[in-house]
Amino acid sequence: MNNKIITPLEASNKVKKSIAKRRAKDNRLKLYGRVAISLAVCFLLILFYSIFSKGYSGFFQYYVTLDINFDRERIDPKGDLSDNSLFDGEASKIVNESLFSIIQPQGRKAKKQAKKIVSSGKDVRIAKMVKNDPSLFGTTTKVKFALDDDIDSFLRGYIKRETPESERRISNKIIEYIDKLNEEGRISYEFSDYILSGSASGNPEMAGIKGAFIGSMLTLSVCLLIAFPLGVATAIYLEEVAKKNKITEFIEVNINNLAAVPSVVFGIMGLAIFISIFGMPRSIPLVGGMVLALMTLPTIIISSRAAIRAVPPSVRDAAYGIGASKLQVIFHHVIPLAMPGMLTGTIIGMAQALGETAPLLMIGMVAFIVDVPNSIVDPGTVLPVQIFMWADFAERMFIQKTSAAIIVLLGFLISMNALAVYLRKKLERRW
Amino acid sequence: MNNRNDLKSLELTVGDVFSKNARLKARNVNVFYGNNKAIDNVTIDIGSKEVISFIGPSGCGKSTFLRCFNRMNDTIDSCVVQGEITIDDENIYDKKIDVVPLRARIGMVFQKPNPFPKSIYDNVAYGPRIHGLSENKEHLDVIVEESLKRAGLWQEVSDRLQSPGTGLSGGQQQRLCIARAIAVSPEVILMDEPCSALDPIATAKIEDLIHELGNDYSIVIVTHSMQQAARVSKRTAYFHLGKLIEVGKTKEIFTRPQHHQTEAYISGKIG
Repeated sequence: MNNKIITPLEASNKVKKSIAKRRAKDNRLKLYGRVAISLAVCFLLILFYSIFSKGYSGFFQYYVTLDINFDRERIDPKGDLSDNSLFDGEASKIVNESLFSIIQPQGRKAKKQAKKIVSSGKDVRIAKMVKNDPSLFGTTTKVKFALDDDIDSFLRGYIKRETPESERRISNKIIEYIDKLNEEGRISYEFSDYILSGSASGNPEMAGIKGAFIGSMLTLSVCLLIAFPLGVATAIYLEEVAKKNKITEFIEVNINNLAAVPSVVFGIMGLAIFISIFGMPRSIPLVGGMVLALMTLPTIIISSRAAIRAVPPSVRDAAYGIGASKLQVIFHHVIPLAMPGMLTGTIIGMAQALGETAPLLMIGMVAFIVDVPNSIVDPGTVLPVQIFMWADFAERMFIQKTSAAIIVLLGFLISMNALAVYLRKKLERRW
Repeated sequence: MNNRNDLKSLELTVGDVFSKNARLKARNVNVFYGNNKAIDNVTIDIGSKEVISFIGPSGCGKSTFLRCFNRMNDTIDSCVVQGEITIDDENIYDKKIDVVPLRARIGMVFQKPNPFPKSIYDNVAYGPRIHGLSENKEHLDVIVEESLKRAGLWQEVSDRLQSPGTGLSGGQQQRLCIARAIAVSPEVILMDEPCSALDPIATAKIEDLIHELGNDYSIVIVTHSMQQAARVSKRTAYFHLGKLIEVGKTKEIFTRPQHHQTEAYISGKIG
């Protein structure tokens, strides 16, 4: 054994030797980190690329331009522009006539098939147009109508001409008509006016996400209004007011456990309590928001408590030392300093709630609702549930609609996170 | 109460624990952190307009004892204070006493400068605002200016009252904290090692300030520096392991300590 004390020279030589090793270790660690991050970024880019490249076509659809003769007698028989009168009118017939004048279908069967080329929303479209602008009456105007979803899929190439007629969803006749319309330059591929402003519909060419979007907004507002004050108040109570004893410890443990409870359980609880016991209606954003609030509460409480704990004790001491009461210390010092952290936690919780489907299925927000909800007690649905429903539908065109809805949901999420970053930057005191 | 025979602590404490015009009186004070006894049977008077320093090795309980006077120990859950501390013969540990006005009467300056993350003006104005001391904005301005002047900070910050208090240097921050404490016109100021984080020049400024403030306030200062105690205080109390060992005139404590432990500390043998 060599037990003598090493000389400074030996020591420095040994340090030099070991330094190369340490450097190599450092560099290796750096390399691992870089590889991990670039992998993550890579996957993220692939994900975004595939979603956007495939989904953006969901925002577009095929239209046919027809010359419509706005004959008041036929469109608005009572002449008062009321829904009743417009419903009795013959708008669909006028559209069909205009279409037939171009494609010239022969025979009853052919005509019946040809009628389906233009989406069934054509009379609603004409009714809307004349309501907005009654001066259209008496004129002949070019109007664009959405094409039926099968034809849309055909034009996109999802339904192939080469497929035998018996296996194709559209007949040879229809293809013939489409070609004719194409030759006349009447078919166009444009930004869809249904995807953003329409709501749920059985006809995929007319389905849109407005109803679900508004439903999501309403549900999230309810969720925020309940969960944020409750969560922050709980966090403040547990951190600042409550004595540390067995009961608060028990509450703490349970809050942490709640954060890990599967969201569908909250849905079942909402169903059992809000709907079965309190008799609230199903499918309404109010109940949805309350269920999501239950789900986000633990997240908000945990992050708010962390934020409160991060407030330096010196600030508290200073305030107490000058004679501030507990309430003043909390409201003048602790909350302002903890606010960025609390908000970040809240927005993360909200983003989670926005993407939640399972608990809302439990309380019936999966219903097929055509009307856009106007208030928190109108039946509605939310974006993720709408996506879930569309993904389940058989029609080919719903695939694009689903992708488009996913893009909208992602956009919503990204803007919420951006808001969180902005708020944190803005409220953070850098002094 | 003032009868010496009643007081067990006198078996321990050497020197004169009593003061003729006492403002604060502590009698048989014990402080526990859970099962751990941090202060053992301490009795002492703090006179009116007197600067007294508490010295002693680290962990001897002098800061803990200081924090008893404005009940800052209440904020620590496990801390229990026994005994009696009176201000003008009113027991501050009485159940009826509200700590809010008490802390307005007994201000505190902490070891680490801890200005609020607000402007200089708001830092000083905070106390008067929460206690409702000012009638209007002009009055508040006067209070802020006067407090900053007394803390010797006015000249340095008068042109930037709205800039953040945390942007000042360490010494300025500590004087800002003193200004904040005196803005509510307390009767007593407790200082917990106010200069331990400061350089010698800033320390000298604070010491001058303590000298001046001593004319108007009772000041209790905890310090690690015996030189500082010698410079600023008239009386000195020496603590050791939670016990008050010796109290006396600063000069006498440093020149002729009566207790062997005090002597050992003064001469650098312990601590």
